Amino acid sequence: MRPFSYARVTDADSAIAMVQETRDSAFLAGGTTEVDLVRQNVLRPALLVDINDLPLNRVEDLPGGGLRIGALARMSDVAQAGGVAERFPMISQALLQGASAQLRNMASMGGNLCQRARCSYFRDATSP
Amino acid sequence: MDSHVVAAPEERVDSARTVTLNVNGHARELRIEPRVSLLDALREHLGLTGSKKGCDQGTCGACTVWVNGRRVLACLTLAVTCEGREVTTIEGLSADGQLHSMQAAFVAHDAFQCGYCTPGQIMSAVALLAEGHAADDREIAEWMSGNICRCAAYPNIRAAIRDVRDGAGGD
Repeated sequence: MRPFSYARVTDADSAIAMVQETRDSAFLAGGTTEVDLVRQNVLRPALLVDINDLPLNRVEDLPGGGLRIGALARMSDVAQAGGVAERFPMISQALLQGASAQLRNMASMGGNLCQRARCSYFRDATSP
Repeated sequence: MDSHVVAAPEERVDSARTVTLNVNGHARELRIEPRVSLLDALREHLGLTGSKKGCDQGTCGACTVWVNGRRVLACLTLAVTCEGREVTTIEGLSADGQLHSMQAAFVAHDAFQCGYCTPGQIMSAVALLAEGHAADDREIAEWMSGNICRCAAYPNIRAAIRDVRDGAGGD
C-alpha cells in the first residue's frame, strides 16, 4: 500500500477544511471499500481524514413519521434501531441482506452512498 | 490547478509514528505508518499471530477481531484508527489458562480441519451469541456467513455454536 498521511478530527468544520485544502485527500469512515481500493492502488490519497469521532452516528425518529440517519451510523446499528426495525422493516431487512456481520459493523451509511464502482475494470489499477 | 493545495503529497506523507493500542486489556506501544492495517500491526508488530491473513480484502473473515466489543475485519481497519479503542483478539479470549467455552466446543466438535480460519470463526461465533442471532441453524449460517471455511467444517462449527448457546459447553 502506498504511504499516506492521516489525521483524526472531532468536528465537521475541521474535517471539511482539511479535505478542501489538501489535494488528493479523502474522508475515512468505515474504510471497508476505501482501504481496499487504496491497497489496490485504485485510490491514491495523500491524506486520509478520519471522521469516525464526529457526532454523526445517531438514528432519530422525526416528528411526522420520518427518520434521520447519521452519515456515520453503522449498517448494523441502523438495522437494529427500534425506529427502523419497527417502522421501516424494509430498510432494516435490506441492510441485513448486505455484506457480512463484520462488514455491517464497520460500514457507515454515508460511505454506502459514496461507494465506488464494483466493476472489476475500475478496480484494475494495472491497465490504462 | 487546484488553488488550495497546501503541499505536494510527497511532503505531507507521514512516516512512522508512535501509536498506543489497547490489545486484550494491555496498552501496547508501537511505531507504525498510517497505512499499516490492524491485522499487520497485530501480526507483524505485536507478535499476535492468532488473527490470520486470508484474503486481505474483507471477504474471508480469517482476520476477525473485536474493536470495542464488536466483530470487525482487521485487514480493512487501519491500526491508527484504533487508538483509544479496545481491541480483542483470539489470544485475549481464554482466561487464566482456561479455554473459552467456544474454543472448548470447537475442539469437542472437531470444528476445523486445517484450522486456518478457526480464530476468525471463534471470534465471530462468540460475538454471534452476544448479538442473539443463533436461534437455529439457518440463522447461525446466515450470521456466520462472513467467515469462510474452505475445508467446509460448517456442520461442526454450527454444532459447536449450538452447544455453547445451549450451555452445554459451560462457561
